[in-house]
Amino acid sequence: MIKRKTKWALAMRRLTKLTLTKTKTKLTLAVPIAAALCGAPALAQDAYVVGVSAAMTGPVAGGYAPIVESMKAYIDLVNERGGINGKPVRIIVQDNGAQPSKAATDAKKLIGQDKVIVLINTSLSSTYAPMVAESKRAGVPLFFAGGVCPPATYPPADALQFCSTAYSANLDSEAALSFIKSTAGGPVRIGFAGMAIPLVRTGIEHAEKFAGSLGMKTVGTQYTPPPTPDYTPFATKIKDADPNWVFSWSPWVSQVRTFEALRRLGWDGSYLSWAHLNAEEELARIKDGKFYVIGTNAFLEDNLPVHAEIRAMAHRAGLKYPTSYLTEGYVAGLVLEAALKKTSWPPTPKKVAAAMSNLKVDLKGLRGGPLEWTKTNHFRTAQYYRVWHWDPAKSAIVRVQDWKVIGAKR
Amino acid sequence: MQLAVNIAVLASIYALISCGYVLIYRVSRVLSLAHGELMMLGAYGLYATASLFSGQPLVAVAAALALSLLVGVLVYVALMWRMTGESVLAAVLATIALGILLRGAMILMFGTQTRHPLEELGWTNASIEVGDDARISGVGLALVLATTVCYGLLFAFLRMTRWGIRMRAAGQNPLLAAQRGIGLHVIYALAWGLATLTGGLAGMLIASDAGLESTMVVIGLKAFPAALVGGLDSLAGALLGSLVIATAEVLMVYYVDPLLSDVVPFFILLAMLVVRPWGFFGSREELDRV
Repeated sequence: MIKRKTKWALAMRRLTKLTLTKTKTKLTLAVPIAAALCGAPALAQDAYVVGVSAAMTGPVAGGYAPIVESMKAYIDLVNERGGINGKPVRIIVQDNGAQPSKAATDAKKLIGQDKVIVLINTSLSSTYAPMVAESKRAGVPLFFAGGVCPPATYPPADALQFCSTAYSANLDSEAALSFIKSTAGGPVRIGFAGMAIPLVRTGIEHAEKFAGSLGMKTVGTQYTPPPTPDYTPFATKIKDADPNWVFSWSPWVSQVRTFEALRRLGWDGSYLSWAHLNAEEELARIKDGKFYVIGTNAFLEDNLPVHAEIRAMAHRAGLKYPTSYLTEGYVAGLVLEAALKKTSWPPTPKKVAAAMSNLKVDLKGLRGGPLEWTKTNHFRTAQYYRVWHWDPAKSAIVRVQDWKVIGAKR
Repeated sequence: MQLAVNIAVLASIYALISCGYVLIYRVSRVLSLAHGELMMLGAYGLYATASLFSGQPLVAVAAALALSLLVGVLVYVALMWRMTGESVLAAVLATIALGILLRGAMILMFGTQTRHPLEELGWTNASIEVGDDARISGVGLALVLATTVCYGLLFAFLRMTRWGIRMRAAGQNPLLAAQRGIGLHVIYALAWGLATLTGGLAGMLIASDAGLESTMVVIGLKAFPAALVGGLDSLAGALLGSLVIATAEVLMVYYVDPLLSDVVPFFILLAMLVVRPWGFFGSREELDRV
């Protein structure tokens, strides 16, 4: 009995020793693995870490991916020049495919795992809500660069939301209709066209009211479902309403297809639409003297010194998009650089938010004036508009209205 | 008159797309949910061949059509052939996976920018007068003609040629057809090839009219109600279904509310499923529940 007990005790001791040895081995392995896993945050602390959730793929990627690529290329350039305040900037890009669920996951990962000091959203407005929720929960500022500016960025602005995107539904409509009024030189019978999405409807509804206040007669409004195989049935209804001007504030595909369908139906009025990223190359493709675009970013035809910089940047980064697509992303890069410059080391989300709440960025002529954010205005204090069209006589894109400022108080 | 022209063009778009759904379903009882992607691939094929054969538009169009046919055959040989004997649901899921794969591959290869194959071909989309008060675009006219020719050739092929009769036999009773010496794999591959060819042609024409971008996939799905309303295994049904859906859409845009144009095809589809689930000319006995 005693012998058996001794055997049992020996066996137990061996087992304990073995377990301890195994535990030691596990610990020995676990320490470097944990260190390696913690490596990323450790590295992150040596850089300004910025997290981007963007529509890099999916049906709408064409309007967002060039912005992110351009902004990233600009920040790479900043890093090559020595970074900001002597520290590099690390941009982590997550592809949300314009899906809200993916944007939510991205925001959680970027804040929780990557410890970013600022979040950037470059995607559809449907992805905003989950990112705003995560941003508020963690107190990390959220910068909209390329997607529509949410109402929370206009005065009185939310403390954590900022926007550098060129377009703004209501202000753009007002600027566009003011241009039409000054150009028409007579009674305006106006038609409106846009894609059937909430943002566009907001803009067009505002435009309808504003047109009335300018004494214009609204003869028809057409919303096309996204996507539409043939725009002619919609254009037929607009044409039959007999407008002499049509204004469209919508994704490019809807604006230009409606215009082309109108022309094929024999309509010869004037058409004003928003200058999206591809507006410059599209004006040159369409070559119609009465097709105008209104926008807030300078065109390449201005040939500013900064355009040479953008071209060089695109060449160096091997970007596959035309240079005219890159202005919006370059502007976002300039704004991000300025905000981080004002953020002392070590950076925290709180410091970044404070820096962004009092920021004035020189955009080197890419817009009509500097982009200025104040404590209560995270959109910009002034919005500048230009209008272009194709001049058949000169066979070139010509500016028909120079920078015209509208105060952005909303 | 303009409304009639608009209906003819939209019906042609839907008919040309939906005949691909019908061909594959009729022969192999598989519902291809990658048809929109294959249609878009055809359009990108035209863009690629137009760049490759610059200055030779007809060669580029012929090459793009041949490419579409080849892609359809390859899809069967590489993927759908393995689905033979599996459940219909497995085959449908395989087409969904194929669609996702193709979408990703096209973005990787061609990027996200809008492309204009017609300009690459060096052609313009002219406006043509029809009577006193209507107009049609050059591409719109090409769509109507292409649909007429495609359906004419398909009807003739299925009724008058040996391969067409074999295809119908394989669709009616594959076991009996195989016992009679008909090579089912060749027939199925041919059906996939023809379906992708017609879908690709629709993609090429739509892209020539409205530009080529990744939202085209959804247009492929918009033609699906037309195929179902007509009867999923009937080419004549696809024609009639397309005409009904297009008429309802165009009239809704003009007389009621443009926003309803997106809803009305599915309303008609629901009504048809309640009243006559097999569609106008579909086979009653072929209904299956998944």
